[in-house]
Amino acid sequence: MADAVKEPSLRAVQIEALVVMKIIKHSSQSFPTTATGSLLGMDVNGTLQVTNCFPFPTIDAPAQDGHQQDSSSNVAAAAPRAKANTAYQNEMIKYLREVNVDAQNVGWYTSTSMGNFVNLNTIENQYFYQKEMNERTVALVHDVSRTSQGSLSLRAYRLSPAFMTAYKEGKFNTESLQKSGLRYQDILVELPLTIHNSHLLTSLLHQLPSQPPKEELKFPPNLAALNHDLNTSEPPLFPNFESLDLSIDPFLEKTCDLLLESIENHHTELNNHQYYQRSLAREQAKITAWQQKRKAENLARAASKQPLLPEDEYQRLFKLPTEPSRLEVLLNSRQIEQYARQVDGFTATVDAKMFAVKNNLHPGE
Amino acid sequence: MADTDSFLHLARPLGPAPVGAQPSTAPLSVVIQPQAVFSILDHSLRRNQDQERVIGTLLGVRSEDGTEVEIRNCYAVPHTETAEQVEVDMDYQKQMLALHLRANPREVLVGWYATSAELNTFSALIQNFYGQQGDGTWPHPAVHLTVSTVPGKEIEARTYISAPIGVTAERAADSCLFIPVPYEIKYGEADKSGLELIAGAKDREDRTQGMLTDIEALERAIEQVLEMLERVSNYVSNVLDEETEPSSALGQFLLNALSLAPKVNPEDIERDFNNHIQDVLVVAYLSNTIRTQIDLSNRLATAALTLGTGDALGGDDKQKGGDRRQNKGNRGQNNRNQQQEA
Repeated sequence: MADAVKEPSLRAVQIEALVVMKIIKHSSQSFPTTATGSLLGMDVNGTLQVTNCFPFPTIDAPAQDGHQQDSSSNVAAAAPRAKANTAYQNEMIKYLREVNVDAQNVGWYTSTSMGNFVNLNTIENQYFYQKEMNERTVALVHDVSRTSQGSLSLRAYRLSPAFMTAYKEGKFNTESLQKSGLRYQDILVELPLTIHNSHLLTSLLHQLPSQPPKEELKFPPNLAALNHDLNTSEPPLFPNFESLDLSIDPFLEKTCDLLLESIENHHTELNNHQYYQRSLAREQAKITAWQQKRKAENLARAASKQPLLPEDEYQRLFKLPTEPSRLEVLLNSRQIEQYARQVDGFTATVDAKMFAVKNNLHPGE
Repeated sequence: MADTDSFLHLARPLGPAPVGAQPSTAPLSVVIQPQAVFSILDHSLRRNQDQERVIGTLLGVRSEDGTEVEIRNCYAVPHTETAEQVEVDMDYQKQMLALHLRANPREVLVGWYATSAELNTFSALIQNFYGQQGDGTWPHPAVHLTVSTVPGKEIEARTYISAPIGVTAERAADSCLFIPVPYEIKYGEADKSGLELIAGAKDREDRTQGMLTDIEALERAIEQVLEMLERVSNYVSNVLDEETEPSSALGQFLLNALSLAPKVNPEDIERDFNNHIQDVLVVAYLSNTIRTQIDLSNRLATAALTLGTGDALGGDDKQKGGDRRQNKGNRGQNNRNQQQEA
């Protein structure tokens, strides 16, 4: 925004039910490919109201082998910052404005599986949005596999200002990290998210699913009649009894797998770093040796009254290896933290369920 | 949604068919996904002040034989309506359709919606526009969905298809026969958890709902189940006290439900339970330890140089950290294997 007055930064995100449903539809349709789209809305006193959204077009690559699927997924994940989509987005917003939709881009959404979203793509997209579009944009992350578990998982993230400046400079070596004090916990800032319904929608929700009949009912004559009774109401939308489901291992297992994978990555990164440090030490040892040799030579030359040789020639002779970027390590750490928290939250419910089952099947303990 | 009037839907040939193309009698049933209705309601709220109703295009998929239509998506189309004439922005409709089809190549144009239950001459005109050959839904008839949004009344939806009716040639464009068709609002598994959260706000004054954590959702579900059990047991004890009229069908149903509880040996339960809970707890413990380790590793990585002891030390520390984590990873692996066996 071009406002000269410094506005307070975003504190919360409020999304319309319509947006929730649209995101769910889009991401579950394109699962397991990543689905991305644009968010529209406006910003009222530090609360970002997201009132509409639309998906980005994707190229339907034939998903025959794993490799190709990967690449099509990558294309989809990179969609928010693709040039063609910026044009698509502008055109869509132009048309939506005509039907009184809030015609301001406030961010983008992406789908993910098992919280596997902290990667370079997400960061780059959000960086692109916060830098190019306007500063007050969010990324909504919808976890498809967790939503199918029974509870909706939708979160709003932003890049922290510290990370923005660091990413702008593109420097992620030890020195710059020490200076900025940037930690992996500070990369993404999560904003509290609330869902808002319109009056009309509230009215609709009171009719969904159909209400039980108001008048007194007669008792069914037999069991078959009861099973086919039209008056038995469907289970309510809220609360969702899916969350009482006992199949817990697949989820835990998958998260553990992902966690291990991340740890492997972390290990590889650490090895890279160690390699760098070893070669750095080797080069430095060489330089010291060279300097000492040159010094001794110069001493000898001074003794024999010869002109001295320059002592800073080593800068041309030896090249210090460049430090690998620590960005990967940071993101990976954040991802591991994400998984670990996920496991933590998940085991809490599992414990409760298991104790309940045990006491139920084994009373009197 | 309230389905106030009942009707009999008969499949019959529609009107006079032109040579070579047999217009189908389909669709016979319409499935509406909730987000389409949500979107229509949103559009209805955003209409211009002087507009009685707003219209838009419905997108969706048609089953292969065309007898079933699923409305998945929709978008608003600006139009103006006066006593004498109606104007629909056809260019807008075309552009928007193209944009939507780029993002959802599988969806096709299936019809249109209006936010009032009224059917008039203009409805017929628009219906014929949507059902025409070329850009329209030809050879299938266009589906017309009306959603009444009168304040203070229940939201009512109706779905229609149309048939041409025999009138003079000059009136053919603005007349057609609307035939009601049955519809259903269906939501998938994935939609359900979203709807749950949205529905959670329906009884609240501010119409908002924060995100629930897993454990909160579980708590609410359990509370609800307990409440229902309470009601049933109340009923049963009332029957026992001869206060309520008994019903053998209900009794049978309850007995059937009770007999679903599995009979298991107490020792077996104890053993399985202990094994499993230990696995789960270890996984939770390890994941927390991993988190701490990662934190430590990151701190060491940036702190090592400030000690002024050179690179070698920092490298050593990280090496140790890495090894330890590796061990942990292996242990996690073993643990998971155990679980799979269990």
